[in-house]
Amino acid sequence: VTPLERHCGWLLRAYPAWYRRERAGEMLDTLLEASPPGARWPSFRDARSLLIGGLRVRGPLAWCLSIPWALLGAAEAGYNFILSEHVPDAVSPEALTPGWIGEPNVIAVAAELGALTWFLLAIPVLLAGLVRIYRGRLRARLAAGLTAIAWAWIAGLALMYLLAAGLGAVAWVLLTIPVLVAGLVRLYRRRLRAAGVAAGLTAIAWASTCMVGLALMYQVANWGPTAAPIWSGNCNVGAGCSLAGYRHAVVSWEELAVLAGWLALGAALTLILASTRALRIRDIRAVSGA
Amino acid sequence: MREPTYFVLASLLDGPLHGYAIIQRAEHLSGGRVTLATGTLYTALDRLTAEGLVVLVSEEIVNGRARRSYGLTPSGAGALRAEAERMAEAARLVTNRSHRLKARGPAREASPA
Repeated sequence: VTPLERHCGWLLRAYPAWYRRERAGEMLDTLLEASPPGARWPSFRDARSLLIGGLRVRGPLAWCLSIPWALLGAAEAGYNFILSEHVPDAVSPEALTPGWIGEPNVIAVAAELGALTWFLLAIPVLLAGLVRIYRGRLRARLAAGLTAIAWAWIAGLALMYLLAAGLGAVAWVLLTIPVLVAGLVRLYRRRLRAAGVAAGLTAIAWASTCMVGLALMYQVANWGPTAAPIWSGNCNVGAGCSLAGYRHAVVSWEELAVLAGWLALGAALTLILASTRALRIRDIRAVSGA
Repeated sequence: MREPTYFVLASLLDGPLHGYAIIQRAEHLSGGRVTLATGTLYTALDRLTAEGLVVLVSEEIVNGRARRSYGLTPSGAGALRAEAERMAEAARLVTNRSHRLKARGPAREASPA
């Protein structure tokens, strides 16, 4: 395998697996032919067109929304993590930007706006996911939607009380199990003919995935044995926190690794669930007239 | 119909071609104006195949990889012809007028009353 082939292979991963199974071979052939001899990378235009083409196949709306949502969530989580570790007792703009160079107010406001955008973005991400989840009959779609809303409500309340009671781990399990189950349902969809069950589970998973991200932010901000309970009434989001709720949190590298794992899992599941099958195999598998 | 789509269809007029041959042919036909990137070509082929304008004609293995040739379907040829006629019609609006303008000389500006 030449470097060019390897690099083209990386870029082709922008496309979903089902598409690559069908098309990657001939696309690679075309890319290799289009590249000058001795080239190690395909041209910039080709690379760009592959990335955009991959996103298009994966489904424009849900996909394009999910990426900024996941990235923004990660950034906010990171910011809150830094805060939770460094914030002193005094409330001042400088306290909100420990170790940052620049105007503290600007960073604090940016973090506030980022958190707000992230929350608002979660709504279209959720809706796009729900629309995508089940394109069957209206009744089934409604059922899936209601299931997701009910689940989001119940799990949200449970999460609030569990985290406030210091039982964060239970809350995480509560949220993550349906996500994993739905992942399995997706994998074995063909064998699960009970479409209603699959739609309901996927809807639950979708809501959970959104909430995993949500909970993550709070979890990060309040990680550690001495951290104040979350949602205890004196804590808001990000820079808007009333700092009375924070104490110096002690965060170990192991905890950080677990956290990174959660973050990766949440982001990956969001992206997987968001990937729309706008194009189907039978669309690209040309049926020869002969 | 967008220009790349038009030239992808036009490149298949003389017979089926495979991916890179379509890129080359489209570039040649458009006088170098339309250089399709690989991703753009396959996005167009996906759509045209789904719409039934283009069809997979043959598949061979070259260097261990599938090389597929695509051809125009009758409805693809029809859509291409309709688009060409539409553009010719639109072009006539301008070309006819410019002939007349040339014959009459440049248009005079309206004189103040």
